[in-house]
Amino acid sequence: MDFGTIELDDQQQKFRFEIDALLDEHLAQRGPERRRFGPHELVDPVLVRKLADRGLLMPSWPIEDGGAGLDRIHRFIVDFELRRRGIDGIGSELVWSAVKRFGNPDLVEELKPKVASGEVRFCLGYTEPDGGSDIAAAKTRAVRDGNEWIINGSKVFTTAAHISQYIFLITRTDPEKPKHRGLTMFLVPTDWPGVEVSQMQTIGDEETNVTYYGDVRLPDRYRLGEVNDGWTVLRGPLDSEHDFAQKTDGLTESMGCWAMERTPTYAAFDATVEWARTAIRSDGSHPIDDPTVRLRLGRVAADIEWAMCSLGPLGRVAGAEVNVRAAAELCDIIGPEALLPYDADGAVDGGDVERAHQFAQATITYGGCVEVFRQMIAQHVLGLPRPQYPGSKNLVPARSL
Amino acid sequence: MDRFFEFRRNDFELDEDQEAVQDAFRTFFSKECPTSVVRAAEPLGYDKNLWSDLLGLGVTSMGLPSAAGGDSASFVDLVLMAEECGAALAPVPLISQVVVARLLAAAGSPLANEVLAGVVCGDRPVVVVPHASYGQRQLVPDAALALDAIVLDGRSLLLVTRDASPPAVRNQGHTPLAWLDPSAGTRQVLLDGPRAAELHARTIQEWKLLTAAALVGLTNRAMFIAVEFAKTRYTLGVPIGTLQGVSFPLADVAINVGGTRNLVRKAAWMHEHEPGARPDLIPMAFATAARIAAHGTATAVHVHGGLGVTIEADISLYFRRAKGWALLLGDPNDDYRAIGDLLAAAAI
Repeated sequence: MDFGTIELDDQQQKFRFEIDALLDEHLAQRGPERRRFGPHELVDPVLVRKLADRGLLMPSWPIEDGGAGLDRIHRFIVDFELRRRGIDGIGSELVWSAVKRFGNPDLVEELKPKVASGEVRFCLGYTEPDGGSDIAAAKTRAVRDGNEWIINGSKVFTTAAHISQYIFLITRTDPEKPKHRGLTMFLVPTDWPGVEVSQMQTIGDEETNVTYYGDVRLPDRYRLGEVNDGWTVLRGPLDSEHDFAQKTDGLTESMGCWAMERTPTYAAFDATVEWARTAIRSDGSHPIDDPTVRLRLGRVAADIEWAMCSLGPLGRVAGAEVNVRAAAELCDIIGPEALLPYDADGAVDGGDVERAHQFAQATITYGGCVEVFRQMIAQHVLGLPRPQYPGSKNLVPARSL
Repeated sequence: MDRFFEFRRNDFELDEDQEAVQDAFRTFFSKECPTSVVRAAEPLGYDKNLWSDLLGLGVTSMGLPSAAGGDSASFVDLVLMAEECGAALAPVPLISQVVVARLLAAAGSPLANEVLAGVVCGDRPVVVVPHASYGQRQLVPDAALALDAIVLDGRSLLLVTRDASPPAVRNQGHTPLAWLDPSAGTRQVLLDGPRAAELHARTIQEWKLLTAAALVGLTNRAMFIAVEFAKTRYTLGVPIGTLQGVSFPLADVAINVGGTRNLVRKAAWMHEHEPGARPDLIPMAFATAARIAAHGTATAVHVHGGLGVTIEADISLYFRRAKGWALLLGDPNDDYRAIGDLLAAAAI
């Protein structure tokens, strides 16, 4: 057990100052209308280049491969300084672990330097329009034709597809087999003939995409892993996303507390406290002079701290649901000014509270909705028996009761 | 956002010594304190033999500095002990006596040292009166077991001694609660000066933190009792635990317990290693534990259906103590407001 300050030696401290300076300089150069959170930073080519120049897109890779050869502590410094500023990780590592392990060696060699330089980024092609979190029920079809595959179907929430070069795509290659055993994974270039990327905006000010696949003829070299063994290929990144595969060392857990999906709530809390200390009510008092306001802020603060102490799948649910609860409560505490977006007259601290409220709602769904995690917790933490549904193991058509 | 981005580790793993403490108390309570012992101790909520066995293990001295004859156990160890005590619903004044021993050791006056010896061996239990005295009687936890009470009176900590313990008053948690008039009895000064109030406040904080740990242990055990029921109780031809209307509320309890257990342990670690650095953590831990214990035991009772509200069902023992322990020191919401007070004072 250790919650102590992480001690840095001189060299590590120097490294931290350098990262600080790099990011501060970058943020100072951006326009005032910048949106503060979300995947927008990923689009910023200037930042991507600056990070790539230092090998920081794939910070743990060896320097000769275009990485920075960072150990755990240096890596932690980079992630900490990015997250502290509300900048998302650049995030090709998740998919790369599967590509490296299951990809055609030629393809891996071709992509490796481009991944390090930021020229190649990946997005996840999992969810389908009528599928939700049940990824293994994918219907997007891939049919073999000689040395090629013909892919037809569509995916939703292929977030970042418009700025990615490849989609990490799950397809159905054998509809007759049990549903987890008829799947095959591909890397599909986003500019390949037949691939169409269409943008969708969310209420949380995030951009995501629908991607369509119409008779996409893809060479077999883009297949990852064995035919019909796509579930094995996908599990690595999925487990990582679901926190089951992570090791505990006190650093990983800290990064979990600072996941991008939580930072808007932190910003909204700070904005509300600042508002409560400085705003002036009609009787001349500050809101924070009111014991009711202090009680409510205290409750939100405790809820956030509780979520920060919740790890793994428990933390997934706690973190996202605290986002929803906390943002709504912070809005209520402030009143109508909380409804003003960042560019409106009188917005509270750049509209952080307004935005957090709209942003929070998606966080209980993406990456697998919280109900999926509740079912995992029921089975694996509590040991409750697994419910049997007609479609648990097999592909079955929808039917009415 | 710097308040949320501290350059710190967030490592909740127990080390081997901590696991040994946990195992020792888990083994002790599972052997010596089945629910039959809990029931037999009602309504007073005190089992003399069980308490005597615990005293023999050195529970009142383990958290004292070695200069005061203790084992210098970390506050984290005390929290691990309290979790197990809570899980077993042990009818013993463990938490009140551990914190009063620490108060007396810190007070350090000759009188305090003399009284401490009696607390450590169990011959002379002492209670701390939670709220400053304004001449009103107040409900004091474990007061029915003690002749001596420590009272904060202005700038002094007084030892108030009576000839007889005040009579126990029946209460939902079946604890030795009693009405106590802090002005009645022989008064002796334990400690004078600004440290008196500070020490009293620290003691209440420690009491709350150990109560929070006990509530976490209690809720966790109640949850698993409900889980066992949900595995073996059938409806519509399936175990009720397969129904998400049953399993999801239980998963919520698991989520609450997991985060709160860690929050309590983190608060204990900070209290031990960097006292005062995060004054918000103990109020957070206590208020959260009180909330999740009420929710968790209510859920566990409801999983049992009508059986859950019967006296004979063990789960009802847990339900009554969840509220019965959480309120002993006042409204848990006061602690949420205390966090707000720290925010107002820009202390966090």
